[in-house]
Amino acid sequence: MRWGMVIDLKRCIGCYGCQLACKAEHGTPPGVYYARVLKDEQGQYPTVSNISLPVLCNHCEDAPCIEACPTGASFKWEDDGIVDIDHDLCVGCRSCMMACPYTNRYFNDQPAHYHQQGATPYEAARTAHHQSNVVMKCNFCRDRVRSGKPPACVANCPTVARIFGDLDDPTSEVSRLIKERGGFTLHPELGTGPSVYYLPA
Amino acid sequence: MNMVNVLNKAPRPIDDVWIPSSCSLCYGTCSILAHRVDGVVVKIEGNPESAVGKGRLCGKGVSGIMTHYDPNRLTRPLRRTNPKKGLSEDPRWKEISWDEALDEISAVLRKVRAEDPRKLVVQRTTTVTASRVPFQTFAAAFGTPNFSVSGGGQHCGNGAHLISGMMHASWSIVPDFEYCNYAIYFGASKGHSAGHASCSNMGKAADARARGMKMVVVDPICNFAAAKATEWVPLRVGTDAALALAMCNVMVNELGIYDGPYLQAKTNAPYLIGPDKLYVRHPESKQPLVWDTRSNTARPYTEVAAADMALEGEFTVDGTRCRPSFHCLRDHLCKFTPEWAEEISTIGAATIRRLAKEFGTEARVGSTIVVEGVTLPYRPVAAIAFRGSQGHMNSVYNFYAVDLLNHLVGAADVVGSCLGFNPTCHGHPDTGKLRYIPSAGPDGLMVTGMWMGYHYPYPPSEPRLPTNLGLQDLFVLGMTSPFLDSTDREEMWERFDLPYRPEVMVNFGANLVMSIANKEAVAASLAKYKFMVSFDLFLTETSNFADIVLPDCGYLQSLDSRSNFPFIFSLPAGMGEWCWPIRQPVLPPDGEQRHCADVLLEIADRVGFRADLNAAYNASLNIQAPHRLEGETRYSYAQICDAELKNNFGIERGLDWFKEQGVIKWKKKPEEVYWRPFVDVRVPIYWEFMLPIGAKIAAIAEPRGLKIPMEYYEPLPDFLPCTSHCCQKQDFDFYAFYYRDIVHTNSFTMENPWLDEAARLDPFSYTIAINATEARKKALHDGQLVWVENEVGHKVKGRLKLTEAIHPEGIGIAAMCGHWSDGMPIAKGKGVFFNELLELDWAHVSPVNNNLDLCAKVRVVPVEAVP
Repeated sequence: MRWGMVIDLKRCIGCYGCQLACKAEHGTPPGVYYARVLKDEQGQYPTVSNISLPVLCNHCEDAPCIEACPTGASFKWEDDGIVDIDHDLCVGCRSCMMACPYTNRYFNDQPAHYHQQGATPYEAARTAHHQSNVVMKCNFCRDRVRSGKPPACVANCPTVARIFGDLDDPTSEVSRLIKERGGFTLHPELGTGPSVYYLPA
Repeated sequence: MNMVNVLNKAPRPIDDVWIPSSCSLCYGTCSILAHRVDGVVVKIEGNPESAVGKGRLCGKGVSGIMTHYDPNRLTRPLRRTNPKKGLSEDPRWKEISWDEALDEISAVLRKVRAEDPRKLVVQRTTTVTASRVPFQTFAAAFGTPNFSVSGGGQHCGNGAHLISGMMHASWSIVPDFEYCNYAIYFGASKGHSAGHASCSNMGKAADARARGMKMVVVDPICNFAAAKATEWVPLRVGTDAALALAMCNVMVNELGIYDGPYLQAKTNAPYLIGPDKLYVRHPESKQPLVWDTRSNTARPYTEVAAADMALEGEFTVDGTRCRPSFHCLRDHLCKFTPEWAEEISTIGAATIRRLAKEFGTEARVGSTIVVEGVTLPYRPVAAIAFRGSQGHMNSVYNFYAVDLLNHLVGAADVVGSCLGFNPTCHGHPDTGKLRYIPSAGPDGLMVTGMWMGYHYPYPPSEPRLPTNLGLQDLFVLGMTSPFLDSTDREEMWERFDLPYRPEVMVNFGANLVMSIANKEAVAASLAKYKFMVSFDLFLTETSNFADIVLPDCGYLQSLDSRSNFPFIFSLPAGMGEWCWPIRQPVLPPDGEQRHCADVLLEIADRVGFRADLNAAYNASLNIQAPHRLEGETRYSYAQICDAELKNNFGIERGLDWFKEQGVIKWKKKPEEVYWRPFVDVRVPIYWEFMLPIGAKIAAIAEPRGLKIPMEYYEPLPDFLPCTSHCCQKQDFDFYAFYYRDIVHTNSFTMENPWLDEAARLDPFSYTIAINATEARKKALHDGQLVWVENEVGHKVKGRLKLTEAIHPEGIGIAAMCGHWSDGMPIAKGKGVFFNELLELDWAHVSPVNNNLDLCAKVRVVPVEAVP
């Protein structure tokens, strides 16, 4: 099987709910976003469209980051296609960050907290397992998924714009939506085979 | 070490629970589940059991943890040692004990209550919906009418809530997302950003979009709602009424589209109007007359079948020439041609005609639909307005004009139409409690069944020489008032011989130095108070004016039996479930924090008005025997919450039950949601009551030197310009306006570091949006540091964001950023403090509902150009 995500840009309103639900789930340090929302506009007044594009690790079939990793820290789970990082093996060389064409990897150089007074009790609890001097990124909330829950960003999206499922199963909702609504990936020309698809607005 | 621990590598947590409660990052108050592990909240998720949020949260809701654990939270009562109060004065706080604090507060309040209780102003933030009852009951029991919600109302609701209440018996309006096919938004973002039922509405609006609902958004800036709209219609700031009136004109006079049977049965359209613009009344019963087309006589509206009531025609009744009010409206609309509206709004006449035709056609006047076996009128169009369009001098007419679109085609509280938030509830099926239904008031016009403001929207009370600081007893269509803080407040009070002055303020969380208008004006009014106590989470710009600051519990430490208000406020409209969630403590107070509601009870005990407070709670919560609070009994807030819950839901469903369950819910019926055909009430498409109100206000105010502009008190809406529209000053080329950002609530959330981080990533949250072409014409560039300055010299500094997504004359700023308090270090210095551009005096206030004029004509000057 291969876990994948569909993000429906017709439903998405760019509320940052995914970005912040992810932060709450993982306690990522300042400047690290496993999920984030890019904003742009196209056209000229008054024919203008505002674009909100939620992005996260694409969990590519042919992931350049894994290729680039010298230590084997970046790897793909064979049973579900999730691209992950073994932080015990990561040496923080950031080759993977250079290799990722989607810039969805982040370097956590040192323990950092949101308040200058230090870690809040929440941060202390949530970030106890974080390591510094490593690269961090989305792993489709693999722990949640293995316990039967969808990723945090999917579970929380107020507009129900994010759907999670098995791309290998042609009957799954994600496969159906991609087929019926013309799902597309980012930068298909790179041949990375992303597992994150978008439905047109 | 046992096996489990070896396998899990970590000790099994002793405490690992998900606790159902309520969010409080905004007044939407979605239902949450807080995950607590070993005494630490590690996650907040939406509660899928509740209709309020439907198990999902906005970015603010999931970020509440960081507000709770903010190390800048107050944990000890503080007393100022610097008697001088001012924007640049350091209060020089010293920590004191609760006993010292409450001794001093009680002594002050005891003295004031003995002298004149009206000298007390009680104020609360609108962010915490549940704070309404404890603070309003405290004020009522103390004996002061001077209750305020700071910038709330003056900014959003004096028009929107007044007219939603008058026309839809609810706090706000929203499209029936499930069935609506065509929604037109005038300066509103319902379902796309912040607001009442915001999370639920985001989901519902997305469903509607996916289903194919067309949405037209009329707004000077293309952001939240407009970004998702089928069509964005940019307009000159503050001219919404011109567009809406022209659309009404095209529908009625060019296309002949209106819902006659609805107007006959559900509005005052058939009521006969005489040459004095007033109802022609029956000589004895004084009931308004209608023309009975069957008998060709004028008869009281109660005696004629709706279908026989004339909507048009010239009649003579006892020698008086008269016409049905619809006829007056129709004639009145003629002057609002699309060409006229184009001049004012900049929207092309052809576009206006097209929009009117689309709205009128999509309304499918006359059609019905079956919902859950009930045949109902089907009008799948909705015209929606909120803050943007109603936040002007012309607040009342702007909203009135937009809502007329709905009523002309019968698209009011029927399937697919503009809906009030739950105006009719048949009550809990087990107890029958919480039953409320709109009813017919004077002249058959609707009185809302449930309300939470100062006074019911209809019938308006009699204007009188004011004794309230806010003058709401003179301006009876106003709610929150600017005259508590305006620069001309003393002048107003002198003018009306107000027999007292405000001396003491009890403030809950409101940061009015930032949330009303320019800081100098509000600061000057605050500095005048002899004593101010403020319940706060942080030291805000406003708490720096307090004498005593009390450390409040945050929402994760608080109990509230009604975290939401029933049900016109933040329960989503449309079919689904009735849902009553509670808020309960997930964590204990930190340091000496205490929940404000319990503190107020203790103050009442110390001052000695517990019996009055118990009575006020009984009245406010409608607590009946055997749960009524009695005499001077010293109930805790938990006991009061328990009494309210048992009163509403039965003896077995008290606080313990709710702590376990989190919410109670039951199914809505089509007859509740689409109540309009089932309830015999009419709403005014012709506001006959305005003339006498205006005349009475003028009779009081004008002999005292305050000219009342009577054009605002006409019974039919008009476009009346804002101060900004009349500005002729050279180089003042732009209309500055603000909008509510999707990641922020009022001035409060900027201190949340996750939300601040999201706002810093957003291109607009902390910048000044300006049309790219216009900016380049003035040699202004993206990222440039500029001053935005209003006509009288109030100015704010910020960085420009050049964009195609804003009207060429607009300057758009996300509201209430730009904090300067050291007590909120994350928020400090972020974004632009828009309200500095707002003047706070009679000249900038709607003379009808006292809404502040929220736009300003400005010039934009590079900072480097100013020496």
